[in-house]
Amino acid sequence: MSQMSYLAIQAPQSTDHIVVSFAATAEEILRFSTIDRVARSAEGTLSGFQRPQIASHIREIKDYLEKPDAVLPNPIVVAFTRGVQVESVDDQVCRVTIDTADGPPGFVVDGQQRLSALAQVKDKDFRVFVSALVCRDEAELRRQFVLINNTRPLPKSLIYELLPTVGGLPDRLDNRSLAAELTAQLNYREDSSLRGQIKQHTNPQGEISDTAIQRVIMNSLNDGVMREFIREPDGERRCFDLVNNFYRAVQIVFSGDWRDHKPRTSRLVHGAGISAMGYVMEHLAILDGARKWDEFAAGMGCLQGRTAWSSGEWRFADDDVRHWKAIQNLNKDIVTLAHYLQAIVRADMRSRKTPRPAPLLDAAAV
Amino acid sequence: MKFIFADSLDLVDPRYDFKADRNGIGRKPYWDDVYPHELLATAPYDGMLVSRGIVESKYTESQAMRFRRSGARVFLRLDEPERARFDIFGDCGAFTYANEDVPPYTPDDMAEFYDDCGFTHGCSVDHIIFDYDLTLKGMEGGSAKAHERFEVTLTNAQKFLEATRHMSNRFTPMGVVQGWSPGSMAEAARRLATMGYNYLAIGGMAPLKADQIRSCLQAIREAIPLDTRIHILGFAKANDIKLFAPFKITSFDTSSPLIRAFKDAKQNYYLPNGDKGLSYYTALRIPQALENTKLLKHIKSGTFRSEDLSRLEAAALDSVRAYDKGQVTLDETLEAVLAYNAPFAVGQHFEEVRDSTTMRTLAKQYRVTLEEQPWRRCDCSICRSLSIEVMIFRAANRNRRRGIHNLGVYKSLIDNLPPSGEAS
Repeated sequence: MSQMSYLAIQAPQSTDHIVVSFAATAEEILRFSTIDRVARSAEGTLSGFQRPQIASHIREIKDYLEKPDAVLPNPIVVAFTRGVQVESVDDQVCRVTIDTADGPPGFVVDGQQRLSALAQVKDKDFRVFVSALVCRDEAELRRQFVLINNTRPLPKSLIYELLPTVGGLPDRLDNRSLAAELTAQLNYREDSSLRGQIKQHTNPQGEISDTAIQRVIMNSLNDGVMREFIREPDGERRCFDLVNNFYRAVQIVFSGDWRDHKPRTSRLVHGAGISAMGYVMEHLAILDGARKWDEFAAGMGCLQGRTAWSSGEWRFADDDVRHWKAIQNLNKDIVTLAHYLQAIVRADMRSRKTPRPAPLLDAAAV
Repeated sequence: MKFIFADSLDLVDPRYDFKADRNGIGRKPYWDDVYPHELLATAPYDGMLVSRGIVESKYTESQAMRFRRSGARVFLRLDEPERARFDIFGDCGAFTYANEDVPPYTPDDMAEFYDDCGFTHGCSVDHIIFDYDLTLKGMEGGSAKAHERFEVTLTNAQKFLEATRHMSNRFTPMGVVQGWSPGSMAEAARRLATMGYNYLAIGGMAPLKADQIRSCLQAIREAIPLDTRIHILGFAKANDIKLFAPFKITSFDTSSPLIRAFKDAKQNYYLPNGDKGLSYYTALRIPQALENTKLLKHIKSGTFRSEDLSRLEAAALDSVRAYDKGQVTLDETLEAVLAYNAPFAVGQHFEEVRDSTTMRTLAKQYRVTLEEQPWRRCDCSICRSLSIEVMIFRAANRNRRRGIHNLGVYKSLIDNLPPSGEAS
């Protein structure tokens, strides 16, 4: 059979194009269309348009599609310049006939990764919508490809904010999702020391970057103290308490560098300071057993007078002295800053190995 | 003689699914992965070496922080009682900063790093010297740069020894020898021994040929007391260890048995060969069609279609597995593997290059591998559970496992060397 036929619905859109939609299996779609990847001939002539398949992406989609409750409501877009006939059945319904005698006439314009994944899902009668677009010529077809694929991805911060409310996501998003949830709690809970201070998609007036806080949390979930906490039944609450208490201590010990400051005016509320202090939190929590805000405050008291968050210079080494503004939100700077702070905290910890001194600050004062 | 494995996060996923070619569901990198000493019943080395250069380049930022916070023993998971006495060597990773004018670390800084991380042995801050000349006598020759680095290394060693003194022997400081000739290395060793080092680490050996290494060791051994211990850093000629045993080497580090599994053109799989030491086999290259960078380039430029490569890939995998079960002939298997190797090795269709030198060489090597089936002659847990998968040159989980198998084979070679009576 070199003719494939489908009952379809037609959407009146443009007088120059025909747009119809029908349901088909991946195997059928690959029989009447090809994925034409962009390439150049030896003479330099450009042909095709699709990018290569992305193995990890296809695998993720395949994992999802293998679940019994998987759905794929968005269509695979296939464009034709020939080999397709559309006959009206009534106002909206039509019959599409595709002639595959000279090979597949269609080109997959959108959804190649989805289609490749679906083709690998065996033993499942899964149909997807095909939106077929009939174009005048190849140039028009390529124009449609560019138009369709030129959409902007959602802003990262919006996706992160939505994550905690979405279930069944691919694995790689797991820690990110938990970090996003804790960040939202830190921003909105009444008992949070960071309440309202974190810049999020829905809280644009915040000053502290949500990704910096998430990074602190993710680092801790991956390689730090929260990795232990989160396995406990009340793990999420313990994680919240830890970050909450730690940054409360930071705000008290370095009040002059925190209050009313912006990342521009103090590196403490800047991504670099938030991230580097996150490692100080790990140090105090793991090696010193700090949990409460006054324990953290006592542990970082030794840093007072040795920081340059909003003025002065950092003395990282004899030959590495930097103006406070020179610290950027770069991995290299964060690591240098974190090592500097941790070395002071660690030396202080060693010097007071004898019984823990009474907290420097009175808990009742806050 | 102690074989110290130079680690660079060489972990594998124990739940890796070789059929579907994917990690275990929900795998957390590092945490769910295992080190060679966790994968094999017996650790395939006597200790591990971690270079600071590796920690700062290969570890993630939060892993590097944890390494320093919790210590090397915990991080490397050598804290089980049966491995609690394993040596953990540290060095700067001089190759990572070979092009800099001066090392990026100070002796104080390194001493603190070793102490924080709980290393058992720490090397002084050295600076690699490259222009090696076997014909020079004594301290003659050597470029201005070589002399400068020679002095930098020794001055650092002196400062390093002072910096570690207050650490009350929590780790053994090792003085690193760098030089441009046997004589200069002997002089460096003599000065280090005079400073008070009784364990020396010989650096810069990786690019040297066997006879060059031998002449160095000879000169060094003559310049230092008999009970001064010697370690060879980054020993690339590890397979010829027998030649160097007479020089009373206490320890050496290498990762070459592991690296060879996926970096060598043909010696990818080790097997003991009685008195002759080791025999080597070539692994069957079946890279991942949609992930291998070389193949992706062909797909991007339009030389090959990904669908076609995927088909060849599947055919090659299916046939080697069927061959292992005795369902297809050797020739059929070889044909399928070579058909997929052509785009990868020469960037052309097999029919066009069948008789090229590259393809004929590969065919010869693969034929030996398939004919002799060395994986059936090894009873390590990797080969027993993976069978022919261990011979497939394909992505980290197979390649590293083959490398870990090599480590195990290599370790038994070391264990069976006749004792040379070295100080320990």
